[in-house]
Amino acid sequence: MYYSATMLPISAVCGGIYRAAIRTLTRDITLYRCLSSGGRVLAGLADADTIFALSSGHGRCGVAVVRISGSAAATALRCMVGLGSQLPPPRTALLRSITDPHTKEVLDRGLVLWFPAPHSFTGEDSVEFHIHGGPAVITAVLQALGSVPGMRPADAGEFTRRAFHAGKLDLTEVEGLGDLIHAETEAQRRQALRQMSGELGRLYQDWSHRLKRTLAHVEAFIDFSEDELIEEGVLDQVDISVCDLRAEIEQHLKDERRGERLRSGVHVVIAGATNAGKSSLLNTLCQRPAAIVSPIAGTTRDVVESALNIGGFPVLLSDTAGLRDSTDLVEQEGVRRARERVQQADLTLLVVDSTILPSDEQEATALLLEHLRGVLSSQDQPGAGRCVLVLNKTDLLPEAHREKLNLGLRRVSGLPPVCLISCQTNEGLKDFLTVLQSSVKTMCGDPLSGAPTLTQARHRAHLQQCVAALAQYRRYRDSDLALAAEGVRLALTSLGRITGRVGAEEILDIIFKDFCIGK
Amino acid sequence: MSHMLTKKLPPVQSVLFLVSRRASQLSRQRYDVIVVGGGHAGTEAAAAAARIGAETLLVTQKIQTIGALSCNPSLGSVGKGHLVREVDALDGLCGRAGDWAGIHFSVLNRSKGPAVWGPRAQLDRQRYREFIQAELLSTPRLTVLEGSVEELLVSDPNPAEPGNHRVTGIRLANGSQLISASSVVLTTGTFLSGSLFVGQTSSPGGRMGDAPSSSGLTQTLRDRLGLRVGRLRTGTPPRLLKDSVDLSLAKLHPPDCQPTPFSFMNTHTHCKPEEQLPCYLIYTTPGVERVVRESLHLNCHIQQDAKGPRYCPSIESRVLRFPGRSHQVWLEPEGLTSDLLYPQGLSMTMPPDVQLRLIREIPSLHRAEIHTPGYGVQYDYVCPTQLSPALQVKNTQGLFLAGQINGTTGYEEAAAQGLWAGVNAARSALCRPPAALSRTESYIGVLVDDLVSRGVTEPYRMFTSRAEFRTSLRPDNADLRLTMKGFELGCVSAVRHHEAIRVHCSIQKAMAALQSLTMSSDSWRQKLPGIGMSENKHQKLSGMDLLQYKDVSFKMLASVFPESLSPYMEFSQRLKIEAVYKPHYDQNKSEIQRIQSEERMLLPQDINYFTLPVSLSQEVREILDRFRPTTLGAATRLEGMTPAAIANLFKYVRITRRQESTMSGKQAGHEERGGEEPCKRKAMLPQ
Repeated sequence: MYYSATMLPISAVCGGIYRAAIRTLTRDITLYRCLSSGGRVLAGLADADTIFALSSGHGRCGVAVVRISGSAAATALRCMVGLGSQLPPPRTALLRSITDPHTKEVLDRGLVLWFPAPHSFTGEDSVEFHIHGGPAVITAVLQALGSVPGMRPADAGEFTRRAFHAGKLDLTEVEGLGDLIHAETEAQRRQALRQMSGELGRLYQDWSHRLKRTLAHVEAFIDFSEDELIEEGVLDQVDISVCDLRAEIEQHLKDERRGERLRSGVHVVIAGATNAGKSSLLNTLCQRPAAIVSPIAGTTRDVVESALNIGGFPVLLSDTAGLRDSTDLVEQEGVRRARERVQQADLTLLVVDSTILPSDEQEATALLLEHLRGVLSSQDQPGAGRCVLVLNKTDLLPEAHREKLNLGLRRVSGLPPVCLISCQTNEGLKDFLTVLQSSVKTMCGDPLSGAPTLTQARHRAHLQQCVAALAQYRRYRDSDLALAAEGVRLALTSLGRITGRVGAEEILDIIFKDFCIGK
Repeated sequence: MSHMLTKKLPPVQSVLFLVSRRASQLSRQRYDVIVVGGGHAGTEAAAAAARIGAETLLVTQKIQTIGALSCNPSLGSVGKGHLVREVDALDGLCGRAGDWAGIHFSVLNRSKGPAVWGPRAQLDRQRYREFIQAELLSTPRLTVLEGSVEELLVSDPNPAEPGNHRVTGIRLANGSQLISASSVVLTTGTFLSGSLFVGQTSSPGGRMGDAPSSSGLTQTLRDRLGLRVGRLRTGTPPRLLKDSVDLSLAKLHPPDCQPTPFSFMNTHTHCKPEEQLPCYLIYTTPGVERVVRESLHLNCHIQQDAKGPRYCPSIESRVLRFPGRSHQVWLEPEGLTSDLLYPQGLSMTMPPDVQLRLIREIPSLHRAEIHTPGYGVQYDYVCPTQLSPALQVKNTQGLFLAGQINGTTGYEEAAAQGLWAGVNAARSALCRPPAALSRTESYIGVLVDDLVSRGVTEPYRMFTSRAEFRTSLRPDNADLRLTMKGFELGCVSAVRHHEAIRVHCSIQKAMAALQSLTMSSDSWRQKLPGIGMSENKHQKLSGMDLLQYKDVSFKMLASVFPESLSPYMEFSQRLKIEAVYKPHYDQNKSEIQRIQSEERMLLPQDINYFTLPVSLSQEVREILDRFRPTTLGAATRLEGMTPAAIANLFKYVRITRRQESTMSGKQAGHEERGGEEPCKRKAMLPQ
């Protein structure tokens, strides 16, 4: 259910588009000139936004290709690959660490290719990252790209469109691309339909409908109010609906990425002191055949990741280095990364060796709280749902001690959920999985009930634009209604990128339905 | 620059004498361009064609009615005023005619932002006609002929060009006289199979008091050329005798104290501010609704299913669609010396005695007398998707259509199309490539693109909400957007071109001066106290930034920096507007460029979409065949198009090597209008 079967052929065809891009590189310049009409079209589009997207299709795969196109591509390359002011030689694959431009965290190690304009698929400066295909890596890289100024996620088919404008496609490619885009948009349409038939779809349609009506009323006020009978209060109503819509969309955006998590996986990090049994826990969880979907092997980092399905929800599990003060430089780096992971985690499994706990519940609680403070950073303000305490190695505890901890710690308030398990004997594992599942479920939200949640980062971006555009209405409401209306138009366009296009005729239809316009 | 208004208008009689020639007296039997019809579209078309340099003949049924305002005595308003400014920027007639004939000027939407200001005027019907007739008479290369066109002459196409037919001229009624031409512009208004309706009677005709036009023209269009036509309806209110109206019961609506001219070439209007006449506002009563309902069975027009305009509906449709309310009616002057009033909003088609009963249900009209009853018109229009963006019929070389024949309503819409069709008819006759106007640069472009790529289902009227880039397409900058382009096309005089360049350069220099005046926000607060700048602002701001503040005027800045800014006081309002809208223009720029690049990719007009050997779904083939988009940009705006189809169309364009052909070749030169390019060009002007 996580990765839809209809997506599979698409990623196969996307491989084709990628090969086509490579072929384009070797095409002779004469063809390019003839197509791009002296580069005018190209020049016209050069200062458009820089776009990025996962080009290899969604779905699990060994290697994922993230493509960037536009004038800021070189900037993105410099600040994410640590090249200083130097750009790599054109069209040469380099193995590099890809880092977050702000936190400098290493996101992945992969191939980096630089295609300066005009010798690229789109005819613009382009960069490709070939990274590991896990959802966590891909999400991290895409999020990092989104934080580079001037960059935004590409619209559906936008790379092809740019390539097309730049005249970079030859006959066979256009023909193949026609089918490809068709397949792509068909899949997107089906995917969108699935989404749109649900509650989320109804929510967006409702916003879109209200926004259309709001815009129609502003437009009616602009185009007709002077010599027609447009009711005086029209603009006041518009003020109210703009304000309401903005508040609702903002509220919706504050869902803490639940829908996106559902789509790309909950990040669960196993952390704790050395020798607490973290790797054993990972292995224990992964060895349950029903839970394993496809563990990712061969990452080059000291963080070991594995993808799981827990109660139907996608989970990305990471094992980290044990936390302790160390004079070893390599270990220090491992600990630093572990802490970063914990900071970014949706859920932390804090593993504690239960044999170090005193049998007195007061003392044990104090020790556990100290552990918690040491692992979870203070500004993170961990809520109870953000962490699960896993007391491991219970097989080594005397029966009485184990019972006392089990009963005593459950009564203590201020502690996250506590689970006593033994990775050795699998004792307590079933209870632990129940706790884990309910935490994950809370974080994803139940897709079948409750308020609809965002499922795509793309939706989030468009909704954010929508909110910003509605703010423009407010800003110009009293000084320039044309600019204020522009805000509502932009808001509708942003929302329209999710729900479908809105034409001027549709707005006029609403105007004539709602008002008696006539001289 | 008011030279146009100081020109002496010849008396109308002499105008009529000079142009009223019989066909046998024409100096030539062959013209570059023949324009059929003397309304708003026809007069602009003929004048534009002649300005371009084509020998032009205007044929109209009655020379007396050239420039007649058949319906309301007003010009402009929101959206329509934008069109008037653009027609004027391209050296058309209606803006200057409006300034000459206006007797009540007001700018609508003053409080809503300069992008949607709507310049508007009530007109003196007679003065408007006089101006248009005098202007046509003094236009070189233009001949006016009174006559009725019986038939279009059509022959086989020029094989080098797309199309199934070629127009070769016209045949006049009563007599078999042929006049040949390279281009023919049809602007027949409501006369194409027009029928007039009053009560239960109907008679052929396009305007009360004028002879119906020959059925031969309709036949040629429909049968010979195979054009699809549809039917639309419109109507006009009864005219009232002013003396019989009790204006003391109406609400007075005064004009602006200082009239704003339509034309970029005029600094003031012909009518002095104090000579202007007011309008009056009155409201309908429940009695009006009752009379409408009681007389429905006597009202043929209202029972027909032809589509009428939604935004200018008859009083019948208003009370039927929105019952139980009172509706606004404006009483408008018909002229300085006219003894009539025009009741805008009371268009009706019931029998004359019922019309009288109806209007007397309104308090201020309780003793009113009707001078001419209202009536309805139904007429054929040619589905405009059969036209190219040059307004040429796609399947007939040299045949251009403009105005109501294309399914539009309104003087301004007609004038804009007329000008554009005239420009292109002349260019076609003179073997020059067609001219293109993008919807990203003008309302005329929006109008033409909407018509030819989407078609109409009801009479089409311009609204500002139709323009995607409304904040860039403002009435104040129509000259900067269009005049230089018009000069290159050949339809703008050197005088106007000089003026546009002067304005452009001054504004550029003034903006550069403003930009260079950069100070810290603290210094600005000191120099200009009380401008409402937040105390928290601590950054460097330029004069351009400052001008964006609501309370800052150019005059204030000029008083602080008289040396660098006072030379530009003439443009203070325009500079303020430029400053406010500049950030939004910069935001829109990339979207504008995307649309323009798609509009540069032409689709051949002779494609058979059903047999095109590329991968297209049947549904897409049908859409493409129905609308036959001219450019890839137009194709993307069609409902039901897929990205795949667009890609495949691009392939076809490549094969046929028509991409970047004539249309865009011309565009390349003036695409980038920013910077100082036009200033440099000044040196090369013909002196």
